Amino acid sequence: MVHILDVMEKALEGKPISENDYQLKLFAAKANEKVREHGIKFDRNEVIPSDNSLADDIYRAAVELLVEVGAYCTDTSRILSYSEEEIRGALRNAPQEIWLGEGKERKRLAPRKIEDKSPPWCFLGAGGGACSSDRSFTTLVEGYAEIPEINAITTPALTRVGGMRIRPASPLELLGAMRNAVYAREACNRVGRPGLPLMNSLSTAESDIALAAALHPRYGMRASDGFLICCMDPMKVDFNRLNKVTVVLSMGAPIGMCFGPLMGGYSGGPESTAVSNVAHHLMGVLTYQSSWLLPFPLHLRYVSSSSREMLWIISVTGQAISRNTDLISLNLNYTSAGPTTPMCLFETSASVTAAVVSGLSIESVGVASNKEEDRTTPVEPRISAEVAHAVAGMKRSDANGMVNELLSKYESKLANPPLGKTLFECWDPERRRPSPEYQKVIRKFKKDMAKIGVDLRPEL
Amino acid sequence: MGKDDAITELRSAVLEYDSDAAVRAAKAAIKQKIDPMIMVDKALVPAINEVGDKFEKMEIFLPDLMLAADAVKASMALILPLMAKDYQTSKATVVVATVQGDVHEIGKNIIASMLMARGFNVIDMGVDVKTTLLIDEAKKSRAKIICASALMSSTMGSQKDIIDYATALGDRKRYAILVGGGPTSREWADEIKADGWGKDANGAIKLADKFSGRR
Ligand code: B12
Repeated sequence: MVHILDVMEKALEGKPISENDYQLKLFAAKANEKVREHGIKFDRNEVIPSDNSLADDIYRAAVELLVEVGAYCTDTSRILSYSEEEIRGALRNAPQEIWLGEGKERKRLAPRKIEDKSPPWCFLGAGGGACSSDRSFTTLVEGYAEIPEINAITTPALTRVGGMRIRPASPLELLGAMRNAVYAREACNRVGRPGLPLMNSLSTAESDIALAAALHPRYGMRASDGFLICCMDPMKVDFNRLNKVTVVLSMGAPIGMCFGPLMGGYSGGPESTAVSNVAHHLMGVLTYQSSWLLPFPLHLRYVSSSSREMLWIISVTGQAISRNTDLISLNLNYTSAGPTTPMCLFETSASVTAAVVSGLSIESVGVASNKEEDRTTPVEPRISAEVAHAVAGMKRSDANGMVNELLSKYESKLANPPLGKTLFECWDPERRRPSPEYQKVIRKFKKDMAKIGVDLRPEL
Repeated sequence: MGKDDAITELRSAVLEYDSDAAVRAAKAAIKQKIDPMIMVDKALVPAINEVGDKFEKMEIFLPDLMLAADAVKASMALILPLMAKDYQTSKATVVVATVQGDVHEIGKNIIASMLMARGFNVIDMGVDVKTTLLIDEAKKSRAKIICASALMSSTMGSQKDIIDYATALGDRKRYAILVGGGPTSREWADEIKADGWGKDANGAIKLADKFSGRR
């Protein structure tokens, strides 16, 4: 078994190479080579393929990629190499279930199968979405905590403390991370669900020191929360991240590595991005000591996951992982369009469907590329969860037809998406409801979904 | 090998993202006394423009773009000293970096490659670059332009630091300081008194062209 000391030994003793050579000449070149060797092909018309052998080829290519390129430590400029035996050992020893939350909210997170009828784990919110104020932060988290399907909360991020913009690894960030913990817990208390796990605990904590600081018992984080640690694309790690790993291991909490290979970036086209996405799962179990994984592949131009290529990548990744391992994996999706636009709801429905029928659970959703302050509401993750439950058990071929219909509604607008409204323009915090305008859009959306065979809860 | 062949080889080397081949082809062309302007105008510029267009259309991807830009840079290192003095100074030096505290590098890499491809002398300082080091480098390399990329609301403040620091040193007028990256905006650039803000790589190139002559 590879433990944290083994990871450090690899980081200190591995083969030295420059970062540029690692990512351009080694990683990118090998990812392409693996695609060619295994004859992996993206088919624009079959975004949710039913071909098991495609999934298995991608898995095989991913194992070979990790064995041949390893991971990379940017602090020592060395490669962390893993043998196939080490990968197999890590997979054998990976937990096949995790219990998260407390009291009534304590639930079991387990791997899913392709076309699994069991509902996916719904990890909901705009993970890391920037909030302009404490008020928008708590409004959002309260809204998430009231979603019926929710299993865990992914909080947005605070950007200001004491009227100052947070700076990384500064006292402002530490204070922000502490507030993040306290406010998120308080928001769950207020709606009567104190046991809900905060699975991306502390998205305001970008640095190791801020994470460690906010874990003081005074701020209420628990070992039954999940802890996300973000991998640097492609397959990179540094001491800051390994410090986070060490801290979270010490509290006995389950680590989830998140990783966002950009299609068009170092991972190349759809095929090699899929191989990279799967390889990151294996790398995460080893290097980041992860018990669960959170892929969020994105399109370089659109910074979202709803285009044809991205849906295919999500689907084949899920199929490769669930056919070949018992790893717990949740896909995080991003939309291009924003709140109150039908496009945003169609986009998230497509991405969530691709994940759920392919054996994944979900984190949902980064709205409007998740980059503008307050451009997100509790509606979009709620719709994602309703769709996720509705499509569980659907055949891949049916899902393919459905997703193609969804694509036809928004595909042409991806390059220039409508950004919609911001939180307080379309969400009423007193009534805990979307604005009448947004409600109308949701009702129409649900009618459109019924027409393509997906029945959702009637909208109030 | 004829003169046309040497030019063709230089062009293909860039199109094949091959630095070693580009250096070999440039050496061969120099040996044959081909006018360096022709090497640039007939081989390097059309090749890198083609690569840039393909990247825009996502027919090729970031690693290809970066390797092609490296190939241009490697051959330019041989060709530039042979060119007329006025050409040598016509394109400015640009220092490119992702700001302190921020490790997002993809947008910065795209900009660095595109500027390099356009013939700017690009010094890419990487990510998480300390404000003082950035300004020191700009001074040392007599850069006219600084491109600072920030992808997080928490690191946008470092863009302000760069400008404040240059101002405090009395060097503000030496450089055009350009800012960009996900959470930034024109309003933000105005607020911190940056010289320009760009939405994407084309924006960065337009600004760099605009400011390269002036100072
Ligand atoms: C990919 C990504 C990552 C990758 C980066 C991989 C890499 N090798 O660079 C990984 C997974 C490593 C990562 C890590 C983190 N990330 Co990140 N990441 C992103 C994501 C999804 C896309 C960024 C990107 O590459 N876009 C594509 C490129 C092409 O676009 P671009 O960089 O904007 O550049 C273009 C233009 O802006 C412009 N431009 C850029 N710079 C400049 C400069 C000048 C002068 C000009 C003129 C123009 C210009 O031209 C470029 C080309 O068109 C964004 C979301 C988003 N919507 O931006 C989050 C995002 C930026 N990340 C975020 C966070 C929180 C993090 C982490 C802190 C997560 C964590 N807790 O560990 C860490 C960062 C650690 C650190 N200290 O920096 C947040 C920031 C939130 C905030 N506070 O504002 C975002 C917004 C996502 C979110 N909402 O959670 N991330």
